[in-house]
This record gives sequence, structure tokens and C-alpha cells, in this order.
Amino acid sequence: MAASAPVTGEIKIPAHVPPELVRKLGITESPEFLVNPHKFMSALHQNCPPIVYSYGDMTPPAWNLMKYEDAYFVLRHPEIFTSEGTGPFPRDPDDYWKIIPLEIEPPEHRKYRALVDPLVSPKAVLAMEIGIRKLANELIDNFIDKGSCEFAKEFGRPLPVGVFLDIMALPREMMDEFVRWAMGLLHAQDRETNVRSMGEVTQYLNKVIAEKRGKLDGGLVSAIVNGRPGGEEMSAKETFGFLFFVWIAGLDTVFATLNHIFLWLAENPDRRQEIIDTPDNINNIVEELLRVFTVTFSGRTLRQDYELRGVKMKKGDKVTSILPACNYDPEIFPNPTEVNFHRPRKPVLTFAGGAHSCLGAHLARMEVKICIQEFLRRIPNFKIKPGVKIEYWPGGVVGPKEVPLVW
Amino acid sequence: MALVTYVQHNGARHEVDVPVGDSIMQGAVNNMIDGIVAECGGGLACATCHCYVDEAWADKVGEPSETENEMLEAAASERKKTSRLSCQISVTDELNGIVVYLPETQF
Repeated sequence: MAASAPVTGEIKIPAHVPPELVRKLGITESPEFLVNPHKFMSALHQNCPPIVYSYGDMTPPAWNLMKYEDAYFVLRHPEIFTSEGTGPFPRDPDDYWKIIPLEIEPPEHRKYRALVDPLVSPKAVLAMEIGIRKLANELIDNFIDKGSCEFAKEFGRPLPVGVFLDIMALPREMMDEFVRWAMGLLHAQDRETNVRSMGEVTQYLNKVIAEKRGKLDGGLVSAIVNGRPGGEEMSAKETFGFLFFVWIAGLDTVFATLNHIFLWLAENPDRRQEIIDTPDNINNIVEELLRVFTVTFSGRTLRQDYELRGVKMKKGDKVTSILPACNYDPEIFPNPTEVNFHRPRKPVLTFAGGAHSCLGAHLARMEVKICIQEFLRRIPNFKIKPGVKIEYWPGGVVGPKEVPLVW
Repeated sequence: MALVTYVQHNGARHEVDVPVGDSIMQGAVNNMIDGIVAECGGGLACATCHCYVDEAWADKVGEPSETENEMLEAAASERKKTSRLSCQISVTDELNGIVVYLPETQF
């Protein structure tokens, strides 16, 4: 995720950065990017060097990596590229807390991750399938007879947030509030909204921490609050940092992904039919759609001087893997903009990779699969409401603002 | 170093020298061998580095731990008698020459 807070002060380009590699690419924020983010990012392979030093009005300067192999390497070598201190949320330097487990490196990292992995393991996710299908159908029941829906609001948003609230063992009534806070943190274009949202989330999460202390209810909040990584109690700051990160990670990413996918499905009736006609290929279909509609980025900081693809980087430099661009790398995915459900299988970088690979990856795959299956089963034909212009949110999770569908 | 042979589902064979102490998974990932995804990087959290150990080597490799067992049950491809998560097999001198088969899919 890229920062959504404005860059303040003058940007200083370090002396070791060659001027010809400095760019203001505009990823996540420029008008050119926001017209069609994935088209913009796939085109970087034609119109941009594979590694550039980029910054924006809302994006602090960092080496931007476009190549699959580079991101693959960076994500799997935390001893060179650390995730410590790379979390994009506003924190008071005098009262600093770590985003956990992201900002803790191996081997310590494993102790924290072990507390939550069992709740989202492949096995745990399989056990959720029936419940997710039920929720998907309940949401469809709400709008199927009216012949239209604003997909983002009536399905894309409530489905993953509902699933996530269930996993956390928090009440579904919190849905609207959660979404509002997440929007304020991830998509606000001003620092005040950022800070205010952060304050409200902080207050709520601290209340929940107190409520769940000593109560083992099988949910994610309880697992974190009562967890003892490596047998030792977490400090209040650690508990908060852990819960906060799991909270924010679960809110916006599947939402954005579903919105992209259903926009594409609405615009491609023949491909919709292909999906309906090939039910056994659903896993490949999901994987390919996750490749072309990757929504996040992954930031690291160099622990040492390092040369990558001939570019000399210095200790302390920030490095951002442009994961959506990496998934369009023509060297790895020939003819990358073609949505092809029969590609030779290559690991996609949608969920980043390495020790910090997305905790919710299995869950996300399952949710996307179920949404496609259930929606197409009940509403096989739909299109974008005529006359509507699709707009995208600026910020660290790339996605359309609204997807109005009619059938 | 120990020689590890990875056999992909389509039959393609890759012979790789893997440093002793590295895992079979790392040997595949560091050499960009398709068929081992290893999304979590050896954290025993994703079951995407599933492999079938050649029967001749199964005894030397040993049995999976309880957590690994649980992950294997949820792996995407069929679990077989010699199924292991390759991140949990450390390469030793004793394993020089080992052959592992990769499943059709990891998720």
C-alpha cells in the first residue's frame, strides 16, 4: 500500500540517484493514472525503465520496481529489503507503534503470524465456504428483483466486510462505520481526514481490546488480544498494532478487487459466458483475474547498499514493488493484457510474497471464487448502467468508486 | 551443496545444487522453478510448496510435523503417501541426489 497522506516539504533527490531515473509517475494519484489504472500500469513496461525513482504529491519518493523478477526477489529477501518502518499509516513519532506482523522481520515474525495463521489457513477457509455462499446469496436477494444495483455498495463492500467481521467475531452492525474509517485512512486526500479516521479507529479498537481480554471466542480479535507470541505477553502497543493491521487489511482489498472484476464482467458478455460454460476451470479463472486486477503495492527499505538490475541503491532508500505492473510483465506473462484463463501457471504477485505474503490470500481467493459463481448463477446477464462514467479512487488500494449494474 | 532434482508435473526435470541447510523450497524458488509457489516463504502458512518425495527417498526425509500435516490436508493437489511441504525439508548431505515431484497446481 502506498501512503495516502500528502508529501510535505521539498522533495530532495539523493545524490546517488541518476537524474535520468527520476520520475513523477503519478501511480495512485495522477489524472492519467485514474482514467484507467491497470492500463496505465501495464503500459509502464513500454514507456518507462524497469526501475525508476518516483515520487508524487501524495507519494513519498521511492525506487519503483516494475519487473516481476525484481519484486519476487525483493519480497523474498527481508535480510536486504526490510519491511520495518514501511507501514503507510500516520503515527506519532513520540508514541510510535509497529504495524504487526508486517513490520517485524523473521525469525521473530513467525511467532506473531502463528497466532492468526490457523484462522485463515486453507483448511479454516474451506470451513467458511458455506457461510460465505450464504452471505453472497442474501446480498443478491436484496437487489435481484429490482434489476439493478450499485455493485460496489450493495455487494462488493458488504460481502468481504461481512465475512471479515464474522472472522473477527465482531458485530455486523459495525459494517458501515468500518467502511467509513477505512475510506478515511486509505482514500482521503487530506491529512485531517486521515488523522481523524485514525483517531476514531484507535478508540474503537482499544474498546474492543478491553472487551475481548480474557475471552476466547475463536475470533481473530480474541486470538490477537489473548495471544502470547513465543510464550510472551504482548505490550499494549503491540496488541494495538497487530489488531489495527489485520483490521485495515481485511477491509478494502477484496472490495476493490471484486469491483474491478465485476466491471470487467459487465463489459465482456462473451467472457462471462466462457466462465459459466467452464465451471471446472474456476480456480484458473480466479487466478488470472487476480493477476490482471491486482490492487496493492509493497514497500520496503534497504538495509544495505545494493545493486539491482544495474541500478545502485543505498542503504535507507525506499523501494516500492508496483505489484500490478509486475503482474503485467511481458517476460513472465506473454501478451500480458490479454485475460487468458488457460495460461501456464506462474505464481502471481497479487498477494506480494515471502514471509509477509498476504495473510488473507486463501480467504480472498475463496471469496472471489464464490462471488463470481453465485452472482453469475443468479444474474448471468448484466451490463454497466448506460451513460455512467467509471471513476477510480486515488490512494494505496486501486479500485473503481462505483460499479452501477443493470440487468 | 546437495543435488536436488525437481520434476515438474509436465515431466520437465531440473537439477539444482542446493546449499546444505537451505530448504528444498528455497532451492526451487531461488532458481525460478515453476511448480513451487511458496507464497509465504517457508512460514508453514500457505501450503503452496507441496511436493511428492520420490519413494526411494521418503524414509530419509522423514515424517511431517503436526502443523505441516494439517496444512497438507488442505493443499490444492491430491495428498499422497509421500506428500511434504518442501519448505519443511532441509537439505543435508544425506539428501544429495534426492528427487521430488511437483503437483499440477499449488492452489
